[in-house]
Amino acid sequence: MMILSERVKKLRTQSLTAEERITAERALLVTRFYKSDEAREVSAPVRRALAFQYILKNKKICINDGELIVGERGPAPKATPTYPEISLHSLHDLEILNSRPKVSFKVDDEVRAIYRDEIIPFWKGRSNRDRIMGLMTPEWINAYNAGIFTEFQEQRAPGHTVLGYKMFRTGFTQLKEEIKESLSKLDFFNDREAFEKSEELKAMDIACDAIIMYAGRHAEELERMASSEKDGKRRAELEEMARICRKVPGEAPETVHEMLQHYWFIHLGVITELNPWDSFNPGRLDQHLYPVYKKEKEEGTLTDEKLYDLLGCFWVKFNNHPSPPKIGVTASESSTYTDFCLINLGGVKPDGTDAVNEMSYILLDVIKEMRILQPSSMVQISKKSPDRFIHKALDIIRTGFGQPSCFNTDAIIQELLRQGKSIVDARNGGASGCVETGAFGTESYWLTGYFNLVKILELTLNNGFDRRTGVQTGLKTGFASDFKSFDDLTGAFAKQVRYFADIKIRGNNVISKTFENYLPVPFLSLLLEDCILNGKDYNCGGTRYNTTYIQGVGLGSITDILTSIRYNVYDKRRITWDELNRALDSDFVGYDDLRYDLIYNTPKYGNDDDYADQQAVAVFEIFYDAINGRPASRGGVHRINMLPTTSHVYFGSVTGATADGRKAFTPLSEGISPSQGVDSHGPTSVIKSASKIDHLRTGGTLLNQKFSPQFFEDEDSYKCLTALIRSYFSLDGHHIQFNVVNAETLRDAQKHPELHRDLIVRVAGYSDYFNDLGEDLQNEIILRTEHENI
Amino acid sequence: MITEIRKIGETEFTTQEMAGKYYSAGDILEILEKERIFIEHSHGGVTFSGGEPLMQTDFLLEALAACKSKGYHTAVDTSGYSSESNFRSVMQYTDLFLYDIKHADDTRHFEYTGVSNTLILSNLRMLLGEGKNIFIRIPVIPDKNDDPESLEGMKKMFSELKCENLKQISLLPFHKTGKAKYRKLHLPYRMEGTVQPSAVRMKELKEFFDGTGIKVRIGA
Repeated sequence: MMILSERVKKLRTQSLTAEERITAERALLVTRFYKSDEAREVSAPVRRALAFQYILKNKKICINDGELIVGERGPAPKATPTYPEISLHSLHDLEILNSRPKVSFKVDDEVRAIYRDEIIPFWKGRSNRDRIMGLMTPEWINAYNAGIFTEFQEQRAPGHTVLGYKMFRTGFTQLKEEIKESLSKLDFFNDREAFEKSEELKAMDIACDAIIMYAGRHAEELERMASSEKDGKRRAELEEMARICRKVPGEAPETVHEMLQHYWFIHLGVITELNPWDSFNPGRLDQHLYPVYKKEKEEGTLTDEKLYDLLGCFWVKFNNHPSPPKIGVTASESSTYTDFCLINLGGVKPDGTDAVNEMSYILLDVIKEMRILQPSSMVQISKKSPDRFIHKALDIIRTGFGQPSCFNTDAIIQELLRQGKSIVDARNGGASGCVETGAFGTESYWLTGYFNLVKILELTLNNGFDRRTGVQTGLKTGFASDFKSFDDLTGAFAKQVRYFADIKIRGNNVISKTFENYLPVPFLSLLLEDCILNGKDYNCGGTRYNTTYIQGVGLGSITDILTSIRYNVYDKRRITWDELNRALDSDFVGYDDLRYDLIYNTPKYGNDDDYADQQAVAVFEIFYDAINGRPASRGGVHRINMLPTTSHVYFGSVTGATADGRKAFTPLSEGISPSQGVDSHGPTSVIKSASKIDHLRTGGTLLNQKFSPQFFEDEDSYKCLTALIRSYFSLDGHHIQFNVVNAETLRDAQKHPELHRDLIVRVAGYSDYFNDLGEDLQNEIILRTEHENI
Repeated sequence: MITEIRKIGETEFTTQEMAGKYYSAGDILEILEKERIFIEHSHGGVTFSGGEPLMQTDFLLEALAACKSKGYHTAVDTSGYSSESNFRSVMQYTDLFLYDIKHADDTRHFEYTGVSNTLILSNLRMLLGEGKNIFIRIPVIPDKNDDPESLEGMKKMFSELKCENLKQISLLPFHKTGKAKYRKLHLPYRMEGTVQPSAVRMKELKEFFDGTGIKVRIGA
């Protein structure tokens, strides 16, 4: 059993209380580099590698009191840099960040001055966001403004990639050898891309030197600190840390301490080079750590106390690094700022046997005792996982902290195999971010934007016209009353989905090229197989597998809306289109009776009722057909997944009243969960409904179930929940998350936020502090059905 | 008929709804098929409860037989107040009886339930004698059956009945979840003054019944 040491307690408290603020350090360094002659005369990958080197050479080295793992992205914990080459904050944006009540980032006068005098004058009109917006078609801009989809790459670099086992066993000097070999094999006679490859490989080599140099700067600082340290014990620690920073990440790590520090330098490299989406994380941490842990245990060089100290220090590092603050519509779409480092535990080994080991349980202990938002955590449950592993996870889930979430390893493997991964690469995979499936260490799987299925249906009922923006946004496929049958309506909807999928995919294929040509990532490319072998950048299709995702949002809502239309207008003929339209136009004011029937006397998704659920399947297939398998410009194809993060709130805010009784501009359903509060037949019915869509043809789905704490009171309830999880997974469900909290507590937290500062809830595939959420999202979480019995 | 009150915004809706539905044995098999995956993973089964399921013995028999034909584990949750022949006919398809015992003393049993416990106890002996698996369930109701005398009476009785197929005694603490139902049915709720036994009290009672040597559980 882990007990937090005084050291870890102190670092944890410091991390929780540190003020989020913007630092101009990185922006300034990258700007100065871009202004230099050196930057002008070189190819894009080399320019990016030199920029990376320049930042790491000149940034402040931060070593915090008492810590055992070193390295901060900014000059201090939670000092968060910006990435003006990606998107440029205006002074107004900085002011909003500084003053908004939720998750503010303090911006001091010095930062403002630097932005005004140096950053903005240089980057105005030159950020990649400006470049992207200039390249998009009017149709794309209209759809974007209407809230049909969001665009992930407008403010962050492409991402979703997790470190695989290779980098836990390899140092960068070894990678330099691989680069040398790859360079020597370039065929300048027959390969038209030989020159581009040589530039990319040169850039990768510079990035290797840069990260080794950066670790060396930490070693120097640690040696300096050790020489003046009075406390003998701390002096010994500092000397040991200096030794480690001289070794990793240049050489392969051989102890737990070395491995954690090795990873952390890699992590810092990735999030300093650019701000790739979310998810970069150590992945299958129990698998990576177990061999070195076992060796050290056998040799007697690692005590439990030391182990937990190291892991505690490592955990704090993630929490010290908020995700980079956003601007504009992306800020309202996702107002919370954690980066999504999802540690995977359990699953299966490359040979297919059960991978749960002693380290899986140790890390679950760490998660339970640390109780911080980042890193986030999940358990991979396979058919072979022991019940004890699930029970241990439930032990943490019951504390109401929203972690770990539960994933179906067998489904993940099948999803990856379907996409063409080898069986070993599939078994080495897992989920990252919220629920996104990936082959760790070998795949770049980009999320490109949420796709508002409900809004598209709204346009379909209105001849493609968006009343909110007053713009003809979709195709003219007729008005609601023109559809003689329900099939006519779904046929028109399918055409509109295809139309907007085309717009989105065309945009993706252009945006992808901007990153390929202007913003390659030589450092990140080092980490993923087979970029070195191919001589190609991560942003250019260099990895073994490349997948591009579009995320469908609002499955529960759109199912209920279509079901209501089918039931009330076409099948039962209870209302005419004219009546329904009038009610929707008036947002149900004066139509309480109708709204009552739409809510209480109409079949709903989430109750294992085929009448409703078949619309979910139909929508899923329409969405899948419009996107799956369509080529992406960097290689690989487009795929779908079904998750919202918090976009269901934003998407709801652009969508008028709907035929399921939902009021205008209120949130849509999240993930593949039923609409808020409509699942009245218990969790087994929710699971049955949710498993009617084919999860195995997605790259991840998200199902949230809220339980009050009493479900976790005795051993029997653990057995029931374990059976529930295993049942869902035997139906090929991808992910299920249990939110353990009661509505009363949440309401009290709204009234007295000061008394509930520790209250963490699962929002949609990730956890956040309840107090940090907007009021609408708070209300939605309260509304979600609390199941009285299982 | 029951009365449901629901709110849409500020408007309250009051509706009269039929409580309960008619099901055939075939309907029940369909529902079970929907839940099959959960039943299998939790090593569960189907429980016929009520009211009193033996009030509809013909249907119960048909439904139990149907369930057994599909291999489901079957349980009947009963007050024990039905004829011996009814029990004899359903027991062949029943894997487990959840058997309510409310009081060992006949006079007080009559006072609170309106019937004698003689038939209930003789059915229990018969089922135990036939080797049927039994879970005894005692609703613990303050001031009605939790006084020392009542408790001693039940303990003595269970000690005598103890046998291999008397698998468990479940102590079910009184609760007021049913209050809303009384309101919906427009019936007076007469248990307002009764308080739910505390966890400490229930633990005490568990220890008391542990003395029978039979496995005791709090709750279902």
